[in-house]
Amino acid sequence: MKKQKIEDIFSSMEDFSSVPPPELWSQIEEKLDKPKKKKRVVLWWSAAACLLLGLLLPSILHFTDLSENTNINNGDLENSRNSIVLDKNTNDNSNDRKLDRTKNADKKIDSLNGNDTNNQFNNESGIQVQETSVAETNSKNKSSKKDSKSNVTVPANAPNQSIAYQNFGSSENKSILKSSKKSVLENHIKSSNKGISEERIAFGKQSKFNSTAKKQLSNSIFEEQLSPKNNKNIAFNNQGYSTNNSFANSNAYNSKNSVSDKNETKRTDKAVIIKDDLKITNSLSKTDSMQLAELQNLEKGILTPEKEKEEKEKKDNLINKKERWAVAVFAGVASSENTKNEKTLGNVNDSKQSNSYGVKTKYSINKKWAVGSGLKISELGQSVANVSYVSVKNNAFFAPAASYADSSPVASSDPSRQDYLLISNSTKEAMKNENVQTGKLDQNLRYVEMPLEVSYSVFNKNKASINLNTGGFVGKLISNNVALDGHSIGENMNANDYVYGSTLSSTVQYRVYKKTNVFVEPAVNYYINPLNSQSFNQFQWGLNFGLNVSF
Amino acid sequence: MNHFLKDELEKYIKLCIKNDREGQLKIYQLFSPVLYGICLKYMKNEDDAKDVFQEAFVIAFQKISQYKFEGSFEGWLKRIFINKLIETLNKKKKESFFLDVFDPDTDFIEEEELEAIPIEQEKLLEYIRDLPDQYRTVFNLYVFEKMKHKEIAELLKISEGTSKSNLNRAKHILQKRILSIKNFKIA
Repeated sequence: MKKQKIEDIFSSMEDFSSVPPPELWSQIEEKLDKPKKKKRVVLWWSAAACLLLGLLLPSILHFTDLSENTNINNGDLENSRNSIVLDKNTNDNSNDRKLDRTKNADKKIDSLNGNDTNNQFNNESGIQVQETSVAETNSKNKSSKKDSKSNVTVPANAPNQSIAYQNFGSSENKSILKSSKKSVLENHIKSSNKGISEERIAFGKQSKFNSTAKKQLSNSIFEEQLSPKNNKNIAFNNQGYSTNNSFANSNAYNSKNSVSDKNETKRTDKAVIIKDDLKITNSLSKTDSMQLAELQNLEKGILTPEKEKEEKEKKDNLINKKERWAVAVFAGVASSENTKNEKTLGNVNDSKQSNSYGVKTKYSINKKWAVGSGLKISELGQSVANVSYVSVKNNAFFAPAASYADSSPVASSDPSRQDYLLISNSTKEAMKNENVQTGKLDQNLRYVEMPLEVSYSVFNKNKASINLNTGGFVGKLISNNVALDGHSIGENMNANDYVYGSTLSSTVQYRVYKKTNVFVEPAVNYYINPLNSQSFNQFQWGLNFGLNVSF
Repeated sequence: MNHFLKDELEKYIKLCIKNDREGQLKIYQLFSPVLYGICLKYMKNEDDAKDVFQEAFVIAFQKISQYKFEGSFEGWLKRIFINKLIETLNKKKKESFFLDVFDPDTDFIEEEELEAIPIEQEKLLEYIRDLPDQYRTVFNLYVFEKMKHKEIAELLKISEGTSKSNLNRAKHILQKRILSIKNFKIA
């Protein structure tokens, strides 16, 4: 007896067909009548969240800018011995007012100059005084400035005018302003320029940024993965075709196809014999049935090998298009590092940990390469331990014009507020002042960043993948805080509004469900210009964890 | 005539794109036997096959506008159905679905050639459906859809080795069943 393999025995099942129960059509009809399910709810929510974020942040920043502009911008009076450093932002419009203010401030200056102890200290010691002017950001304070009818109140039409209120002593007591070179202050204060350097912490600004929404694509994985198979199915030979089998017989199973008829079917032969076993339902007329049967044959035999090739190419392209977009949300920890042994006030900058979070999108160009962008909230920071400072508020020595405190236009309405003079180690030794205290100075610069990254897939198997990413980013300063021993004392005036940098990261991703992946992403970022002149931690290590949906 | 039939089919597809019920019924009548047959081969019981058949047809009608009138429409429909079948089987078994490891006891058994005797399609279908889900799926894809192990592995997110192993085990089980029938007949 003739022998055959299992596949040959079952080859008759290849074109097996069976007429479905009639009730199935009515059930399908019912389902077709229902509105389409919202399959992409997650994607739409992601898009909506990005859009909302994109709209909200600029609005918030815009209004913050407005309110900030109506208030007094903090400036500084820098004390290099007895000289006053004139602010570059001084403009002609403000000169008259400044002069007026100066006249009234003469008393303050006089008292400042008349403070022999102060002058002698500076003249005789000849040491470098590193001073950090700490500016008040309290809105109440700003409004008090605004409301004040004092000479140092900034006019509304000069929003950018900075008013210094912090000096070698109390800012309230010695609120001196920026002035032109012709300032009358020159008459009272003479500069001796004995190598006194200063280091300031300055105010930052906030403004808007833009975000973009991403279009979405979707493709069925399975559809595309099956394409090679279907290419095979469309080669054709009607060898086994039998009109007796193709129609007129509506039995559920067609047993006329004998097993032995298919003995010669070979797997290696891509031109698979496809027989037409289609059963036409009784609802069709005989003529219709014949036509439909022919139609099916036509469908099956219509493709030439060339067309097959074309189809394959198209399907290959489709494979490349699958899951091209990905949206990810992530959060993680970051640590700003001091890699150059930079110092502030004579003390080494320590690393500082912070959090980061954001959303990002990625577009796959091909199997290996992808580009990505997004929005990320990140914080760069540094800690400086053992910073010497003098609390000015309670120190008569550094508050020679204390009598003016009450009338000071920039006096804080916040009773808890203190003013501090930060001094370098060398100054501290020279001063030998009992009032000098030490504390920990924390500085944080928070940015909203928009990276642009190129990603390369180094490993992709089954559910796991590893990508290497590199690129650059631009960040907008959204928060600027300086804290002494945990208490916020103002902002860093040297902070740049915009920061640029480069990033290098690696994404280790694992597919947990359908198109949803979890990933962990160690990264290193380098910030080119966080501050204008001061040293600041520029390297940042980060470890992000996130969820990624591809479509 | 052929052109006429091709035009007819295109007409029905275009009607389906417009969500026309008459066109959908024509397409259903034309292709439902083959597609229902596929569902019966992949699913263990008929109720499951009916469920998948309905859902896949609904998906096909919803996505019919994506058909570009290039290539076989039946092939396009089959892809949708097989995708849906595999998705359903994966849901049923989740992680445990294709976690088979190599088993030398069964995987090294050489395929035996059997004496050719006619077996009814109903019986063959029964044997196929009695196979465990993972073996049945790989067997269907390999034997009926003519897919290679690499393609099956990609589709099912399993290794090629697992695909081969599942196929061997499926064949082994089917071989036993057929032999038992023959022995029964001889006896």
